[in-house]
Amino acid sequence: MSDITTITNILTVVLLLTGAFFMLAGTIGFLRFPDFYSRMHATGKCDTLGEGLMLVALIVYGGATFVSVKILFLIIFILFANPTSTHAIAKAAYDVGLEPWRKPDDRVQWLNTDDTNNISNTGNSGEGRVDEDGGDGR
Amino acid sequence: MTGASLFGIEMVNVFLAMAILIVIASFVSLYRGIEGPGIFNRIIAVSVIGTKTIVLLVLIGFIYKRPDFFDIALVYAILNFIMTIAATRY
Repeated sequence: MSDITTITNILTVVLLLTGAFFMLAGTIGFLRFPDFYSRMHATGKCDTLGEGLMLVALIVYGGATFVSVKILFLIIFILFANPTSTHAIAKAAYDVGLEPWRKPDDRVQWLNTDDTNNISNTGNSGEGRVDEDGGDGR
Repeated sequence: MTGASLFGIEMVNVFLAMAILIVIASFVSLYRGIEGPGIFNRIIAVSVIGTKTIVLLVLIGFIYKRPDFFDIALVYAILNFIMTIAATRY
Protein backbone atom coordinates (compact mmCIF):
# COMPACT_ATOMS: atom_id res chain seq x y z
CA MET A 1 0.00 0.00 0.00
CA SER A 2 1.39 3.32 -1.01
CA ASP A 3 0.55 6.66 0.44
CA ILE A 4 -1.50 7.85 -2.50
CA THR A 5 -3.82 4.87 -2.10
CA THR A 6 -4.36 5.69 1.55
CA ILE A 7 -5.11 9.32 0.73
CA THR A 8 -7.54 8.25 -1.98
CA ASN A 9 -9.33 5.89 0.37
CA ILE A 10 -9.59 8.52 3.11
CA LEU A 11 -11.01 11.03 0.64
CA THR A 12 -13.49 8.45 -0.60
CA VAL A 13 -14.70 7.62 2.90
CA VAL A 14 -15.03 11.29 3.86
CA LEU A 15 -17.02 12.14 0.72
CA LEU A 16 -19.22 9.07 1.18
CA LEU A 17 -19.99 9.98 4.78
CA THR A 18 -20.77 13.59 3.84
CA GLY A 19 -23.08 12.45 1.07
CA ALA A 20 -24.82 9.99 3.37
CA PHE A 21 -25.29 12.74 5.96
CA PHE A 22 -26.92 15.02 3.41
CA MET A 23 -29.10 12.21 2.14
CA LEU A 24 -30.28 11.29 5.63
CA ALA A 25 -30.91 14.96 6.44
CA GLY A 26 -33.04 15.25 3.32
CA THR A 27 -34.96 12.13 4.28
CA ILE A 28 -35.63 13.39 7.80
CA GLY A 29 -36.79 16.70 6.38
CA PHE A 30 -39.01 14.86 3.93
CA LEU A 31 -40.56 13.00 6.83
CA ARG A 32 -40.88 15.84 9.31
CA PHE A 33 -41.74 19.04 7.49
CA PRO A 34 -45.38 20.14 7.70
CA ASP A 35 -46.05 21.12 4.11
CA PHE A 36 -45.69 19.77 0.63
CA TYR A 37 -43.58 22.70 -0.52
CA SER A 38 -41.23 22.56 2.44
CA ARG A 39 -40.83 18.80 1.99
CA MET A 40 -39.83 19.49 -1.57
CA HIS A 41 -37.42 22.13 -0.30
CA ALA A 42 -35.81 19.45 1.85
CA THR A 43 -35.57 16.74 -0.76
CA GLY A 44 -34.79 18.76 -3.86
CA LYS A 45 -31.51 20.12 -2.63
CA CYS A 46 -30.30 17.54 -0.14
CA ASP A 47 -30.76 14.61 -2.48
CA THR A 48 -28.99 16.32 -5.34
CA LEU A 49 -26.03 17.29 -3.19
CA GLY A 50 -25.82 13.96 -1.37
CA GLU A 51 -25.99 11.98 -4.55
CA GLY A 52 -23.41 14.19 -6.23
CA LEU A 53 -21.03 13.80 -3.31
CA MET A 54 -21.39 10.03 -3.18
CA LEU A 55 -20.82 9.68 -6.90
CA VAL A 56 -17.79 11.96 -6.73
CA ALA A 57 -16.46 9.71 -3.98
CA LEU A 58 -16.88 6.70 -6.23
CA ILE A 59 -15.09 8.54 -9.05
CA VAL A 60 -12.20 9.25 -6.69
CA TYR A 61 -12.13 5.60 -5.69
CA GLY A 62 -12.35 4.26 -9.20
CA GLY A 63 -9.62 6.39 -10.69
CA ALA A 64 -9.38 7.58 -14.28
CA THR A 65 -11.15 4.81 -16.10
CA PHE A 66 -14.01 4.52 -18.52
CA VAL A 67 -16.35 3.78 -15.64
CA SER A 68 -15.55 7.14 -14.07
CA VAL A 69 -16.55 8.92 -17.26
CA LYS A 70 -19.90 7.14 -17.11
CA ILE A 71 -20.41 8.23 -13.51
CA LEU A 72 -19.41 11.77 -14.49
CA PHE A 73 -22.11 11.76 -17.16
CA LEU A 74 -24.52 10.46 -14.52
CA ILE A 75 -23.64 13.36 -12.19
CA ILE A 76 -24.06 15.92 -14.97
CA PHE A 77 -27.41 14.46 -15.98
CA ILE A 78 -28.62 14.44 -12.37
CA LEU A 79 -27.54 18.03 -11.85
CA PHE A 80 -29.78 18.96 -14.78
CA ALA A 81 -32.66 16.57 -14.21
CA ASN A 82 -33.26 16.73 -10.48
CA PRO A 83 -33.93 20.50 -10.17
CA THR A 84 -36.00 20.34 -13.35
CA SER A 85 -38.25 17.62 -11.99
CA THR A 86 -38.53 19.42 -8.65
CA HIS A 87 -39.57 22.60 -10.41
CA ALA A 88 -42.08 20.67 -12.52
CA ILE A 89 -43.66 19.11 -9.43
CA ALA A 90 -43.82 22.47 -7.66
CA LYS A 91 -45.38 24.19 -10.65
CA ALA A 92 -47.95 21.42 -11.07
CA ALA A 93 -48.90 21.64 -7.40
CA TYR A 94 -49.16 25.42 -7.57
CA ASP A 95 -51.34 25.24 -10.67
CA VAL A 96 -53.62 22.69 -9.02
CA GLY A 97 -54.02 25.10 -6.12
CA LEU A 98 -52.22 23.86 -3.05
CA GLU A 99 -51.62 26.79 -0.74
CA PRO A 100 -48.36 27.07 1.16
CA TRP A 101 -48.38 26.35 4.86
CA ARG A 102 -48.15 29.25 7.29
CA LYS A 103 -47.43 29.36 10.97
CA PRO A 104 -50.71 29.55 12.89
CA ASP A 105 -49.61 32.62 14.85
CA ASP A 106 -48.68 34.45 11.66
CA ARG A 107 -52.00 33.59 10.13
CA VAL A 108 -53.97 34.94 13.09
CA GLN A 109 -51.94 38.12 13.21
CA TRP A 110 -52.31 38.63 9.50
CA LEU A 111 -56.07 38.18 9.80
CA ASN A 112 -56.30 40.69 12.65
CA THR A 113 -54.44 43.35 10.75
CA ASP A 114 -56.62 42.58 7.77
CA ASP A 115 -59.77 43.16 9.79
CA THR A 116 -58.67 46.45 11.31
CA ASN A 117 -57.56 48.16 8.14
CA ASN A 118 -58.83 46.48 5.03
CA ILE A 119 -56.87 48.18 2.33
CA SER A 120 -56.05 46.65 -1.03
CA ASN A 121 -58.16 43.60 -0.32
CA THR A 122 -61.12 42.55 -2.36
CA GLY A 123 -62.68 40.55 0.45
CA ASN A 124 -62.29 37.15 -1.09
CA SER A 125 -59.02 36.04 0.36
CA GLY A 126 -59.84 36.81 3.98
CA GLU A 127 -62.76 34.46 4.34
CA GLY A 128 -61.05 31.86 2.23
CA ARG A 129 -58.15 31.68 4.60
CA VAL A 130 -60.37 31.46 7.65
CA ASP A 131 -62.15 28.39 6.37
CA GLU A 132 -59.22 26.19 5.53
CA ASP A 133 -57.45 25.11 8.64
CA GLY A 134 -55.57 22.21 10.12
CA GLY A 135 -53.40 21.34 7.19
CA ASP A 136 -55.47 18.50 5.79
CA GLY A 137 -55.06 17.48 2.23
CA ARG A 138 -51.59 18.79 1.66
CA MET B 1 -9.31 -0.03 -9.09
CA THR B 2 -7.10 1.11 -6.26
CA GLY B 3 -6.41 -0.59 -2.98
CA ALA B 4 -8.97 -2.42 -1.02
CA SER B 5 -8.45 -1.61 2.63
CA LEU B 6 -8.05 1.41 4.88
CA PHE B 7 -6.94 1.05 8.51
CA GLY B 8 -7.99 -2.57 8.50
CA ILE B 9 -11.45 -1.81 7.12
CA GLU B 10 -12.21 -3.17 3.69
CA MET B 11 -13.51 -0.55 1.30
CA VAL B 12 -16.14 -3.01 0.10
CA ASN B 13 -17.56 -3.07 3.61
CA VAL B 14 -17.72 0.73 3.62
CA PHE B 15 -19.66 0.63 0.37
CA LEU B 16 -21.92 -2.05 1.82
CA ALA B 17 -22.63 0.08 4.90
CA MET B 18 -23.48 3.05 2.68
CA ALA B 19 -25.80 0.85 0.61
CA ILE B 20 -27.61 -0.35 3.74
CA LEU B 21 -27.93 3.27 4.89
CA ILE B 22 -29.46 4.24 1.55
CA VAL B 23 -31.90 1.34 1.74
CA ILE B 24 -33.00 2.45 5.23
CA ALA B 25 -33.48 6.02 3.96
CA SER B 26 -35.52 4.68 1.04
CA PHE B 27 -37.83 2.81 3.39
CA VAL B 28 -38.27 5.94 5.51
CA SER B 29 -39.18 7.82 2.34
CA LEU B 30 -41.58 5.04 1.40
CA TYR B 31 -43.53 5.75 4.59
CA ARG B 32 -44.21 9.26 3.34
CA GLY B 33 -45.12 7.85 -0.04
CA ILE B 34 -47.71 5.51 1.44
CA GLU B 35 -49.04 7.72 4.20
CA GLY B 36 -48.51 11.19 2.82
CA PRO B 37 -51.64 13.15 2.00
CA GLY B 38 -52.22 14.11 -1.58
CA ILE B 39 -50.79 12.82 -4.81
CA PHE B 40 -47.87 15.24 -4.95
CA ASN B 41 -46.25 13.80 -1.85
CA ARG B 42 -46.39 10.42 -3.50
CA ILE B 43 -44.84 11.77 -6.69
CA ILE B 44 -42.04 13.32 -4.64
CA ALA B 45 -41.56 10.06 -2.73
CA VAL B 46 -41.20 8.10 -5.95
CA SER B 47 -38.73 10.66 -7.28
CA VAL B 48 -36.67 10.58 -4.10
CA ILE B 49 -36.58 6.79 -3.98
CA GLY B 50 -35.53 6.73 -7.61
CA THR B 51 -32.75 9.18 -6.88
CA LYS B 52 -31.52 7.01 -4.02
CA THR B 53 -31.75 3.92 -6.20
CA ILE B 54 -29.32 5.41 -8.71
CA VAL B 55 -26.63 5.73 -6.03
CA LEU B 56 -27.53 2.26 -4.79
CA LEU B 57 -26.99 0.78 -8.24
CA VAL B 58 -23.62 2.45 -8.61
CA LEU B 59 -22.60 1.20 -5.16
CA ILE B 60 -23.68 -2.34 -6.06
CA GLY B 61 -21.61 -2.08 -9.21
CA PHE B 62 -18.58 -1.20 -7.10
CA ILE B 63 -19.25 -3.85 -4.47
CA TYR B 64 -19.58 -6.75 -6.87
CA LYS B 65 -17.14 -5.25 -9.42
CA ARG B 66 -19.59 -5.49 -12.28
CA PRO B 67 -19.52 -2.48 -14.60
CA ASP B 68 -22.91 -3.36 -16.11
CA PHE B 69 -24.70 -1.66 -13.26
CA PHE B 70 -23.52 1.81 -14.31
CA ASP B 71 -25.43 1.54 -17.58
CA ILE B 72 -28.46 0.41 -15.61
CA ALA B 73 -28.05 3.41 -13.30
CA LEU B 74 -27.84 5.78 -16.28
CA VAL B 75 -30.98 4.35 -17.83
CA TYR B 76 -32.71 4.46 -14.46
CA ALA B 77 -31.87 8.15 -14.08
CA ILE B 78 -33.34 8.95 -17.50
CA LEU B 79 -36.46 6.88 -16.79
CA ASN B 80 -36.94 8.52 -13.41
CA PHE B 81 -36.72 11.99 -14.93
CA ILE B 82 -39.13 11.18 -17.75
CA MET B 83 -41.59 9.55 -15.37
CA THR B 84 -41.61 12.56 -13.06
CA ILE B 85 -42.16 14.98 -15.92
CA ALA B 86 -44.94 12.82 -17.34
CA ALA B 87 -46.63 12.48 -13.97
CA THR B 88 -46.60 16.22 -13.37
CA ARG B 89 -47.88 17.00 -16.89
CA TYR B 90 -50.68 14.41 -16.53
